[in-house]
Amino acid sequence: MKEALSLLCRLPAHPDSRCWYLAWSPGGSLLASCGGDRVVRLWGREGPGWACRAVLGEGHQRTVRKVAWSPCGTYLASASFDATTCIWKKQPDGFECVTTLEGHENEVKSVAWAPSGNLLATCSRDKSVWVWEVDEEEEYECVSVLNSHTQDVKHVVWHPNQELLASASYDDTVKLYHEEEDDWVCCATLEGHESTVWSVAFDGSGERLASCSDDKTVRIWRRYKPGNEEGVACSGTDPTWKCVCNLSGFHTRTIYDVAWCHLTGALATACGDDAIRVFEESSPAAPQQPTFSLAAHVARAHSQDVNCVAWNPKEPGLLASCSDDGEIAFWKYQRPEVC
Amino acid sequence: MASPFSGVLQLTDLDDFIGPSQECIKPVKVEKNHPGKAAAKIRIEADGSYFQINQDGGAQKLEKAKITLNDCLACSGCITSAESVLITQQSHEELYKMLAFNKTAAPNEQKLVVVSVSPQSRASLAARCKMNVLETAKKLTTFLKSLGVHYVFDTTFSRNFSLLESQREFVKRFRKQSEDKKALPMLASACPGWICYAEKTHGSFIIPYISTAKSPQQVMGSLVKGHFAEQQHLTPDQIYHVTVMPCYDKKLEASRPDFFSQEYQTRDVDCVITTGEVLRLLEQEGISLSDVDPAPLDTMFSSITEEELTSHSGGGSGGYLEHIYKYAAKELFGIQVDTIQYKPLKNKDFQEVTLEKDGVVLLQFALAYGFRNIQNLVQKLKRGKSPYHYVEVMACPSGCLNGGGQIKIEGESSKDLLQQVEKLYESLKTEIPEKNQTVNELYEHWLGGMDSEKAAKALHTEYHAVEKTSTGFNIKW
Repeated sequence: MKEALSLLCRLPAHPDSRCWYLAWSPGGSLLASCGGDRVVRLWGREGPGWACRAVLGEGHQRTVRKVAWSPCGTYLASASFDATTCIWKKQPDGFECVTTLEGHENEVKSVAWAPSGNLLATCSRDKSVWVWEVDEEEEYECVSVLNSHTQDVKHVVWHPNQELLASASYDDTVKLYHEEEDDWVCCATLEGHESTVWSVAFDGSGERLASCSDDKTVRIWRRYKPGNEEGVACSGTDPTWKCVCNLSGFHTRTIYDVAWCHLTGALATACGDDAIRVFEESSPAAPQQPTFSLAAHVARAHSQDVNCVAWNPKEPGLLASCSDDGEIAFWKYQRPEVC
Repeated sequence: MASPFSGVLQLTDLDDFIGPSQECIKPVKVEKNHPGKAAAKIRIEADGSYFQINQDGGAQKLEKAKITLNDCLACSGCITSAESVLITQQSHEELYKMLAFNKTAAPNEQKLVVVSVSPQSRASLAARCKMNVLETAKKLTTFLKSLGVHYVFDTTFSRNFSLLESQREFVKRFRKQSEDKKALPMLASACPGWICYAEKTHGSFIIPYISTAKSPQQVMGSLVKGHFAEQQHLTPDQIYHVTVMPCYDKKLEASRPDFFSQEYQTRDVDCVITTGEVLRLLEQEGISLSDVDPAPLDTMFSSITEEELTSHSGGGSGGYLEHIYKYAAKELFGIQVDTIQYKPLKNKDFQEVTLEKDGVVLLQFALAYGFRNIQNLVQKLKRGKSPYHYVEVMACPSGCLNGGGQIKIEGESSKDLLQQVEKLYESLKTEIPEKNQTVNELYEHWLGGMDSEKAAKALHTEYHAVEKTSTGFNIKW
């Protein structure tokens, strides 16, 4: 099973600090990393390995917790514990901070760009989720402040092709939001996790969502529209998201991140037990009761907690991970013949 | 459970998840019985009370350290669960306690109980009980008096002062805008959620822009504990003043030290209860408001007669923009404005009004309701990109009629209900503050003129930036 996930390269990306998060540029050629050293670094291929192409510093006063690329690849957003989000724009000679979004009361935990590129979402320890709109003049206006969560909000992610936003929180729930009239509203609450939900990821179709938690499980949720054949109850015109699979017993500590590869369908997790795991859906798939099996497991992927896993959007099987040890690792994943 | 406070206050950590017992950083002063002595043993009883064990073996009950609402408001640290503090200090249970106290206390210890009802609360009750506004007011008067309340007033009356003072303040600020960079835009002061957020989050930057005019609730506080007390030959602390408000944040406003009399150890407003809490009072008494007989209205602080109620034009949040706009157009430019054209911008809670003459913008005002619009306004101000002279800022989307303390009806869409409440609110005849005889007489006789020191004290307040403190304890990845 070990051969399924093989190490390509390891980099001391944020030395003497934690590396918190990774984001591949939409074209897959650049990887952005951020960390406790308050900077964002961009990595590109160089020969057989990877080299630092740029350091985006002086934007933040504290830890940079997450980064996100705009769908066009021109902008990069960084969310920081200094309560701000910086928007960096690609210039001929590097990246420049063009806007600083203020408003959150304290630590910004996550940032995500909507597929259209016109909307941005941020979330914070202040328990709120904000939706921002970008106009032609690169001005950002807050279009909604959502106070649905009762605790720290850890992560936000957009549906791959719809204006549907998901957030994960310390209140053990995942919430979904969409626009209604001229404001955003919470349209679903996914309950089931028994502790903090650290991350969520949509599959390529956007019909399913994976969530990972401090309760050491990964749960798969499926969307059921009103009037669905399976008879899953919906209230009004809103779809219901039902948990169709619970991956428990695989992880021994908190699962900090989950990444669903939109090219291959493989599901990777980053865990507090220093391991990376990859799950594959057993075929033939039974949509109402899918089963996932462990296809790869690297027990000591890093020397400390693994914080993030990210699939390259263009190159199937290329996975990047980062850890509290400050390192980034690149992996080649090959689906085992039998799994 | 979501917090009942406006979204703005939820964001400023007022009701953070950290309980007071865990991480409140406010140093609490506890009166010690034996100063200077070495550490003593402390025993905790089964009921949670603490006893200090003296060296001679005797036990003394220790006083509980209490965190008041003021402590919470003045602190930017982790913050206690402000809600639980509020519940012990300002609730309909507290009103019950006072009414019960009056029933058993010696006559010279009894307090005169005055309830001032906001027009927004009245409209919400009217919608709930399917009655018109006047009927609701009369029946509510009967109900409250049956509980032992002595007088029931209407804060529409005190709003006349808030409006007049805001109008005059605006014109003054407009005239000195060239020498004072922070004279404009003037920002509304009636919404306590907004004030609290501004003080905590934007402190000394934003405070100079905020109008100093007191809100209708606090003007009513001055009236009741000042003028009315004098008339009744009572000291301010002999009156227990309750307001009924559409919003929880008003409880915080009433608790501000600015509205506390050191001399008499009493607040201008002793207790704020929400519209929803009035409904709970009715339910606890097993009474349906529609079954109650109507009583004549108390007219001392009413606008006209005991058979009529009035309101102000310009919407359910008080009509500040409209009154200031019309007054300023006339006063500054000699232009008589009869109707106002609102232009919705990004959303229905952000609207603009512009006065132009020969293609030149003379006045540009805006309504900014709800946290998202407040946020954009503040960011615009910070970047020097706000074109406005005045902004009516309110924390709640749709304004005060949609306040967090209003009644929600199960099975009814909140949008439909809000429309009903708006319709009821707007059903009353509007009055013009300048033309209210009682108000003019009070300016003259009680306050000694519009620009007197007494008027400034009774009708204006000040704001205080809250220093940020970081505890270092509250980092969470």
